[in-house]
Amino acid sequence: MHHFDDIYPFSAIVGQEQMKKALLLNAINPRIGGVLIKGEKGTAKSTAARALARLLPEHPVVEGCAFGCDPGDYRGLCQDCEKKYPDLVAIPRKMKVIELPISATEDKVVGSLDIEHALKHGERKFEPGVLAKANHNILYVDEVNLLNDHIVDVLLDAAAMGVNIIEREGVSYVHPAAFILIGTMNPEEGELRPQLLDRFGLCVDIEGIHDADTRVEVVRRRKAYDDAPDPFITSWQREEEDLRERILTAKELLPQVTASEDMLTMIAQICIDMAVDGHRADLVMLKTSATIAAFKGRTEVTEEDVREAAELVLSHRMHRQPFSDQQMDKEKVEQSIEKSQQEKKQPEQQQQNPENQKPKENTTPDGSTTTQFAEGQPFKVSQKPLATPRRIDSFKRDGSGRRSVTESRDGKYVRSRIPKTIGPDIALDATIRAAAPHQKDRKGPLAVKIESSDLREKVRERKMGNTILFVVDASGSMGAQQRMTAVKGAILSLLIDAYQKRDRVGLVVFRGKTAEVLLPPTSSVELARKYMQQLPVGGKTPLAHGLSKAFEVLQREKMINRHTIPRLILISDGKANVSLGSGSPLDDANEVAARIKDAGISSLVIDSEKGYIAFGLAQTLSQEMGAKYLKLEDLQADQIADVVKGIGM
Amino acid sequence: MHHFNDIYPFTAIVGQEQMKKALILNAINPRIGGVLIKGEKGTAKSTAARALAHLLPDRQVVDGCIFGCDPVDAKGLCFDCQKLALPLPVKNSRMRVVELPISATEDKVVGSLDIEHALKKGEKRFEPGILAQAHRNILYVDEVNLLNDHIVDVLLDAAAMGMNFIEREGVSYVHPAAFILIGTMNPEEGELRPQLLDRFGLCVDIEGIHDAGTRVDVIRRRQKYEDTPEEFIRSYEPQEQELRERIVRAQKLLPDVAVSDDMLKMIAQICIDMAVDGHRADITMMKTAATIAAYNGRNAVIDEDIREAAALVLSHRMRRRPFSEQKMDTGKMEQSILRTQGQKAGVAAAQQHTHTHTHQH
Repeated sequence: MHHFDDIYPFSAIVGQEQMKKALLLNAINPRIGGVLIKGEKGTAKSTAARALARLLPEHPVVEGCAFGCDPGDYRGLCQDCEKKYPDLVAIPRKMKVIELPISATEDKVVGSLDIEHALKHGERKFEPGVLAKANHNILYVDEVNLLNDHIVDVLLDAAAMGVNIIEREGVSYVHPAAFILIGTMNPEEGELRPQLLDRFGLCVDIEGIHDADTRVEVVRRRKAYDDAPDPFITSWQREEEDLRERILTAKELLPQVTASEDMLTMIAQICIDMAVDGHRADLVMLKTSATIAAFKGRTEVTEEDVREAAELVLSHRMHRQPFSDQQMDKEKVEQSIEKSQQEKKQPEQQQQNPENQKPKENTTPDGSTTTQFAEGQPFKVSQKPLATPRRIDSFKRDGSGRRSVTESRDGKYVRSRIPKTIGPDIALDATIRAAAPHQKDRKGPLAVKIESSDLREKVRERKMGNTILFVVDASGSMGAQQRMTAVKGAILSLLIDAYQKRDRVGLVVFRGKTAEVLLPPTSSVELARKYMQQLPVGGKTPLAHGLSKAFEVLQREKMINRHTIPRLILISDGKANVSLGSGSPLDDANEVAARIKDAGISSLVIDSEKGYIAFGLAQTLSQEMGAKYLKLEDLQADQIADVVKGIGM
Repeated sequence: MHHFNDIYPFTAIVGQEQMKKALILNAINPRIGGVLIKGEKGTAKSTAARALAHLLPDRQVVDGCIFGCDPVDAKGLCFDCQKLALPLPVKNSRMRVVELPISATEDKVVGSLDIEHALKKGEKRFEPGILAQAHRNILYVDEVNLLNDHIVDVLLDAAAMGMNFIEREGVSYVHPAAFILIGTMNPEEGELRPQLLDRFGLCVDIEGIHDAGTRVDVIRRRQKYEDTPEEFIRSYEPQEQELRERIVRAQKLLPDVAVSDDMLKMIAQICIDMAVDGHRADITMMKTAATIAAYNGRNAVIDEDIREAAALVLSHRMRRRPFSEQKMDTGKMEQSILRTQGQKAGVAAAQQHTHTHTHQH
C-alpha cells in the first residue's frame, strides 16, 4: 500500500495536452481564474489537479495564520495579520489542494460560529470553513455539477471577489479567499449553470485516448507507479524539476509580457463575433494569451497565442443551440482574426455585417434533416381559467405554499428540539432557557452555565417548490401536420403557468438516436422558452432514451435541491422506434416508465397522436408510468387549469 | 471597506451610462428608492454597485447612535435616541454600502440575541443585524434573485415599513431601517419576485458592449487595474473627486428644483398611458426627474428630464404579460408627452418646442 502523500507526477500523465496546458497556465497566472475539466470518468482529471499542486513552487505564508496570508502582500492580509503587521513571521509552504466535497454544508464552506468555544468561554469565535483554507491554494471540486445550488451561489460570490463575507449565526467576519478553482464534471450527469460556467476562466473537454499504443502506455505507467511509487516518482524527478523551473521562469516573465493594440482588437472582435455574454471572456482571453506567451518564453503576445487562448476561453461561454454541442467554431474564430487584421489594413473600409441568415432547414451531425417549427399561439381559451382565483388557490395548496421541515441549515428557524447528536445548529435561546432553572446549583466562570443536557438544536423549515421537467418528442412524426406548432403552444401555456407559480422548469428533448437535456432545471422560465423556440424536429423516436434521461435529471435534481417536488410532463405520440438495448423500443419505454412510477415521480402524459387510426401507445405508457393522461386537443379546452393540479398528489 | 478588496473606480467604468446614471441619482437623492441592475454576466454590475461607495456624500447623524439616526427626523429616532436630551449630539458621517451576502442567515439580517452577553452576564440584549446597519445607508444585494425566500420576506417587511420589528429568540425590539436597496441580478438565473421588484425605485437593463474599440478600452483598463491597483485608483481620483463634488452640488440644489403643473401632468399622463399599477411610478418619476434636473444644474424640470426619468422608472413597472419582453415603448411615451403638450393652450411657442423635440428623437 502506498503512502498517502504519494502523488502521481504531473509530467508522467500521458496525453491530455489541453488539460495539462490549462492547469499549467493557471499555475503560472492564478488570475486566469481556474479550469473546468469536462470529461468521462477515469481520464486522469483529479490525478492532474493533485499533481499540479505538487508541482507548484513553495510560497511564503504567515506563520500560524488560519488563512495562509502572504506576508508580502499587505493588501491581501486577513484581519489578524493586518493588526500584527509588519511583525509577521514568514514560513514557506507548499500549495495545497483543498477539496470541497459535494456533501459539504453551507456553514462548513463559509465558516460559522464555534459553538463549543462560545458555550465554554462565553466568547464568540469564528470557525473558518473550506473557503478559509482555500485562500492561496487550489480549491478542487469534483463533480461540480452535482453541488447543491446554494453552495454554488456562495462559491461564486467568493470566487468573484476573492473575499468571503460571513453574516451567519452570531458571527460577522470577512476574510480573504483567493483561490484557483478547479472543477471537474462528467457532462452526462447534468449541466452546470451558465453563471458558474462563466466563473471558470478556462474549460477543457477531455476524453479517453483512442490510440491503442498510447493506452498501453497509460496502463504501463500506472502499474509501475502502483507497484513501486517511490522509484517511479524518483524516475520522473528530472521532468518534474524541469517543468517547475519552466513555470518559475514564466512567472517571472509574465509581468513583462505586452499585448499590442492589434492583439487587443483581435480579442475583442473574436468575442463580439462569438456572441459571448459580457466582458469577462475578453479579459480572460488577454490574460491567457499573455500567460501562453510567457510560458513560451516570449514577451509579446502573438496571434498564435490568442488562437490557443480562444480555444480554452470560449468553449464554455458560447450560447448553445439545441442538439449542437457547445463547441467553439474554429472557423469562425479564424474569420474574426482575419477581420480584425483587414480592419487594420483598411480602416476606412466599412465593416461588413457578416450576419448570415440561418437556414431554417439544416442537417445535424447524425445525418437526419431537421426543421424548426413556429411556436403555436399560447391558447387563448386556456388563458381564462389560468387567471381565475381558483387557479391561484390550487397552486397555493399544491406547490409554492407548501412548507417542509428541512435538515439543511438554510431554512427559517421555527422551533427547537433536543438533538439526537450534538451538531452545530444550536438554538441558543432555547438552550439558555433549558439551563436557566439549574443555575443555582452549577458553578463556573460564566453567568450562564451550560451543560450538554441543556443543548437544543434548531428545527428549520423551508418552502417547497415544483420542478417540472418537460420531456418533448421532437421526432419526425411530430413534424407532421404542424403537430409541433401545437405542442409548442401547449408547452408555452404550461410554462406560463409555471412562471406564475415560480416553479423550476427543465427541458429534455429526444429525437434521432438520443435524448438531450436541453435545459437543466432552472427557475428562469424565460430561458426555457428561448430553448423551446429553437427546437429542431426530425428523425426517429428514441422514447426510452428520453424517459431515462428525464429520470436521471429528476433524480439528480432531488439530490442537489432537496426542497423540490419533481414532476414530469411527457409530450409524445408514444410511437417509440429506437430501443435502448436489444429489446423492443416499446418495451424499453414501458420499462423506464415503470421505474419513474416506482420512484414516486408524479407525471403527466400529453398524447399528440392524431387521426382515425389511433394506436393508443401513449395511453398504455401513461398507465405504466402511473401518469395522468390527456390528449393534446383536450389541453386546448378549458381543462388546462386542472391539468397541472391534476398531476399533483 | 475591506482593504483586500480594492474597489475599481466608478468613473473608470467604460460605457453602461444608464446604470451609472441610476446609481448617481440614488446617491444624490436616497428617496428615489434604489435601483435594480439586470444584465448578463460580466457586465460590471457588481463592480459599479460597489464602486458607488466612494462617491457617497456625507450626512448628519446622531453621534454615538448605532443606527445612525437622522437628528432632524424626530419621528424616525430609535429608542436610545428618543431618550437623549435635546439638542441631540450631531456629527457628519459618510453614507455606506452595506452588503448582504446571499449566505446570510436570518438572525444576522434582522438581529438576534447577543450570545456573548447572554452567556457572560446572563442578560438579554439585542444584537443589531444587517438591517440595523443599513438604516440610512445603501443595502446592496449581489445576485438578489438567488436570495432565500425567507430572507426576502424579511427584507420586504422592513422595506415597506422603514422599520425592523424583531420578535425572536426571546428578544423583542423595534428599530428604524430605512435603506436604499441596490440589487444586481442575471435574469438567466431566475426571476425576481414581483413584490421585491416593485421595491426598487429604478431599474436598468444592461448588456455587453458590441463595439470592438470600446471593448478594447474595457480590457485595457481592467488589466491596468489588476496589475497596479493603487496606481490605477489614484489616477482616477481627480474624476472621482469631480463627480463627488457634482453630486454634492446637485444635493444642495435639489430642494429648490421646481416641478411645474405641466410637468406633473405629463408624468401622470405617461403613467396612465403606459398602464402602470398604482401610483408609485408617478411619485418615483417626479423625484427622479427633479434629481436629474439638479444633477444637470437646473432648478426646473423640463420634459427631457421626464423622458430620461421615465426610461429608468417604468421599465420594470409595466404590467407584463408573461414572455412578452418587459420593455418600455418609447414611441408610446412620446405620444403621451405630445398629448400633454398639446393641452397647453395652443401657444405657438409650445408647438415649436414639440417640433424640435420630435426631431431630436
